[in-house]
Amino acid sequence: MAPSGARSLLRRITGLYSRFLDALLVMTVALILLPVTLQIFSRFTALLPRYIWTEELSRFLLVWMIMIGAMVGVREGTHFTVDLFPSLKGRARAALDLVSGLFVLVFAMVFLIYGWEFTELAWYRISELAELPLPLIHIAWPICGATWLLFQGERMWDDIRVLRHGEGPV
Amino acid sequence: MGASTLAAGTAAWILFGMFFAQLALRVPVAVALGIACLPILLIEDRLWPMILVQETFNAYNSFILLAVPFFLLTANLMNVGGITDRLVRFSRALVGHFPGGLAQINVVLSIFFAGISGSSTADAASQSKLFIDAQRKEGYDDSFSVAITAVSAVLAVIIPPSILMIVWGGVLTVSIGALFLAGLLPGIMIGLVQMGTVHIYAKMRGYPTYPRATLREIAAGFLVSIPALITPFIIIGGKIFGWFTATESACIAVLYAGFLSIIVYREMDFKGLWGAFAETGRLSAITLFCVGTASAFGWLLAYYKIPEALLAGVTAWEMGPIATGLIIAGVFLVVGCFLDAIPAIIIVGTILSPIAAAAGLHPVHFAMIGIVSLAFGLVTPPYGLCLMIACSIAGIRMIDALKDTMIMLIPMFAVLVLLILWPGMALLLPSLVEPDFLR
Repeated sequence: MAPSGARSLLRRITGLYSRFLDALLVMTVALILLPVTLQIFSRFTALLPRYIWTEELSRFLLVWMIMIGAMVGVREGTHFTVDLFPSLKGRARAALDLVSGLFVLVFAMVFLIYGWEFTELAWYRISELAELPLPLIHIAWPICGATWLLFQGERMWDDIRVLRHGEGPV
Repeated sequence: MGASTLAAGTAAWILFGMFFAQLALRVPVAVALGIACLPILLIEDRLWPMILVQETFNAYNSFILLAVPFFLLTANLMNVGGITDRLVRFSRALVGHFPGGLAQINVVLSIFFAGISGSSTADAASQSKLFIDAQRKEGYDDSFSVAITAVSAVLAVIIPPSILMIVWGGVLTVSIGALFLAGLLPGIMIGLVQMGTVHIYAKMRGYPTYPRATLREIAAGFLVSIPALITPFIIIGGKIFGWFTATESACIAVLYAGFLSIIVYREMDFKGLWGAFAETGRLSAITLFCVGTASAFGWLLAYYKIPEALLAGVTAWEMGPIATGLIIAGVFLVVGCFLDAIPAIIIVGTILSPIAAAAGLHPVHFAMIGIVSLAFGLVTPPYGLCLMIACSIAGIRMIDALKDTMIMLIPMFAVLVLLILWPGMALLLPSLVEPDFLR
């Protein structure tokens, strides 16, 4: 069963996008270490200035790390579920996944719509300590919502195919 | 508040009903918690759905939660940087000659690991890869291997440092230094009863054992492990002496593990480092994302004063500390079956705290009862993360490992009951080392 043209194009796009997110995630994890390390060592040596913004910056990086990781988690289907029927296969699994996928889509819409409102509210505000523009952090919510829609939509597309044609040769 | 559109009872039914219905439909837990809030946010006049965004933002924007990625990263660096290998060798020299040698090593390694990393999920993930296949080859039953790997992984959050202690201390304002010290005795006792359980299993089923290590081998294993073994002293000591905060201590753990892997043992390459970062970002993000929606859920429970309503009867019973302790443990054990430990602390810990105080439980004692119970929840179905991870790596169904897991939990429950009956198990060390912590 060769994937249709539109499907394989979408797969390529989401594949590239998730590789980009992956790199971003690794960089964020690595970056978080810097402000906290700076914060600890500046306390014991006079060589390093004792910046006031290290704590806030590390929190903001954590926010972005969580949001990026949550996006990757949807594509890879790794968000934790309580699995009561572990050994489902084929059409039954696809049908159930479609149902639970609908809830994920609704959740993504909430993040997209109200996350955007959240971003607009903070449009001209800056953070207290690091003086970073707050929209830079709040925008993670609408981006996360949109990305979830894309990734979850892709998964559900696959589920619909399974539902219509049965589980193809993998 | 009298003017809310919904009565507290109705709101509670909507929140919990929606949540459990979605769990049954296999909706991811994080999403289920968020969606359960949605109808109320739409119906209630003074609320609107942006609160879901606002509350998740408030939850993630937290210096305390940074400890989660840090401890996961520590664990991942230990694995790719050769620290774990050396600790395995040392554990083998110590307990390899006991019946069920490999499974004993599994438990002892968890104890060492727990002293460095504060994340049980990291322990379960790395030790499942390390042990389950190896135990299978030596003729251990799969269900036994999965169960012992999962139950020994819970030690990571009981023996300090521990993510749960940091979150508990942050959310309920208890001294984290005191919690670190309080976890030592219960943790080691649980480790010992697990070794006892392995011993009995091995005798009954004839599991293999290794030849006894010579003193030379033990000494050699100890020597190469010294740099790794002093990690807990750096982390816990630094916290107790006030050199750094709890979250910073997790960062120190990362830096030290990185230092050992790159400079001392020199087994880290770029690919390993990249993989460790990617793995850390994924697992910690998924775990923490759940904390955000759980906070929104908890916020709504508090908005309608549902916890007070649920517990109005309980305080009226006027129980002593022991009965209260047992009830607290029971509540956390049940909640732990359905929720991850951090959201459970945020939602349930805050609810139970006044009850514990009213019954005269010391805050540190209360914290340890809660943390140990929640740690057990990491291996109880349907939502037992450590068991889920071990099962998925072993490629077996959770149901198949359930019986052995429950058998192994029985002696661990005995330790929990002892902890409730004898507060000294938690309070002795803090009162000896740093009485100020207990005020």
